[in-house]
Amino acid sequence: MAEPLLSIKGVHAGYGDVPVLWGVDLAIERGEIACLVGSNGAGKTTLMRTISGLVRATAGSIAFDGAELAAAEPDAVLAAGIAHVPEGRRLFSAMSIRDNLLMGAYLRRDGAAAVEADLKKMYAMFPILAQRQEQDAGTLSGGEQQMCAIARGLMGAPKMLLIDELSLGLAPAVVDQLCDALRALNREGLTLLVVEQDVATALEIAKHAFVMDTGRITRSGESAALANDPAIREAYLGSL
Amino acid sequence: MLSLQILANGLVLGGLYACIAAGFSLVWGVLNVINILHGSFIVLGGYLAYYAYAQFGIHPFVSILIAAPLFFALGYILQRSLINRMIAAPVLLTLSLTFGLDLMLSNGMLVAFTADFKKLTLDPPLGVLNLGGIALPVDRLFAMVLALALTGLLYLLLSRSRIGRAIVAVRMDREAAALMGVNVKRIYAVTFGLGALMAGASGPLLAMIFPISPLSGPVYLGKAFVICVLGGLGSVPGAMIGGLALGVVESFGALWFGPEHAITLSFTLLILMLLFRPTGLLGRTGYA
Repeated sequence: MAEPLLSIKGVHAGYGDVPVLWGVDLAIERGEIACLVGSNGAGKTTLMRTISGLVRATAGSIAFDGAELAAAEPDAVLAAGIAHVPEGRRLFSAMSIRDNLLMGAYLRRDGAAAVEADLKKMYAMFPILAQRQEQDAGTLSGGEQQMCAIARGLMGAPKMLLIDELSLGLAPAVVDQLCDALRALNREGLTLLVVEQDVATALEIAKHAFVMDTGRITRSGESAALANDPAIREAYLGSL
Repeated sequence: MLSLQILANGLVLGGLYACIAAGFSLVWGVLNVINILHGSFIVLGGYLAYYAYAQFGIHPFVSILIAAPLFFALGYILQRSLINRMIAAPVLLTLSLTFGLDLMLSNGMLVAFTADFKKLTLDPPLGVLNLGGIALPVDRLFAMVLALALTGLLYLLLSRSRIGRAIVAVRMDREAAALMGVNVKRIYAVTFGLGALMAGASGPLLAMIFPISPLSGPVYLGKAFVICVLGGLGSVPGAMIGGLALGVVESFGALWFGPEHAITLSFTLLILMLLFRPTGLLGRTGYA
């Protein structure tokens, strides 16, 4: 097996004196879609935040594409090629959609023409964003906001995109559209790690799945295998 | 005719007020820091213009160009070295910090410049423009135009430039901005630097009109407070509207109630706004 793109080993992290992650191990292959599932409070969001540098790892290593990121600040993580679409989208709500997307390209140094070309790509992928580009992001519906947030993440030209809670609060038709877009991006070579509370959706789009519980990865493997695992089915899919 | 004259006086004053308040409002809005130093920065900018004119004959309009980079650097360094250390602390603690720094600065100015009022008097004077019966002193008119131009430049910087977008993004959501690769502490320092720049650059403009004294700092600070409440916090258009409104209110207030009540009037206005429209005349727009 080739060297994984993202390799996390023994990562501990938390907030103040409250530890949340208790030695997380996880490896994502280059060019795959992986998903991270688990119940509320399992530490999924904290793991995302630790990868992107918002939370400092207190122990362990986060290796990405040959670089060690466990002690990196968020700007260094993005510069290394990991963009993070945070839980709740966190768009700049009183900024126009176009300015939100340009914020995604904040660190880029490859020139205005390249950024403009990527804007066009985003508008082609999500035409609603093009129609409403001068409107404030706060006026978008939930699904449109998620499109904008994903597009904003992509504007940083990352090698890997982390998406925290892809489908939360969204209509099934919108989730299908987002999943199609993610598969298309993946075919173009983007690696994805998706945190998803809807385990059925997660296992459907991801090649590998990681199950998190109380700050550790408790199960992992091919999505298809996990989907047929009786324990997983009982705990997360609600049917036997 | 008299009321037109009073209105014109008020607008001229209001343009200067807008410039005073824009930087204060920016710092408060983005950093959640109430910068008590703001008034003393204005006074210090005034002294810079006074001595540049008295010693070297440098016109106050030119002094602005000297004051701007100096004050930006001063603000940037102050934020980087001191205020960033406690930026996450409750607002009263950062207020205490800037209050303490202000005590040092204003007392330092008392020692250096004494409490005597100094007046920058242009020689030869620029004269008075007569517009259909409305008399407008040319120095005041120029000062207002420059003040509004500075405020407009700040607005353009915030709404059109990459660094301005980053400042606005940090104001809206610090963490999301960090995920975009924005170095938040650096943006804080740039923002504080811009606030200081606006204060330092409005000093020379005010020095052409009002006498300069270290004791004027709190007066300017009070105006900045009232304007922020009038226009809405953290927005340049808000500071513009609030500044012009305060200028006009003070002008008419001076006519109707006597100039000695100007400060009473403006703080009465502040209390009324807080009671009935705490988001300011423009509401909370948040953008730039």
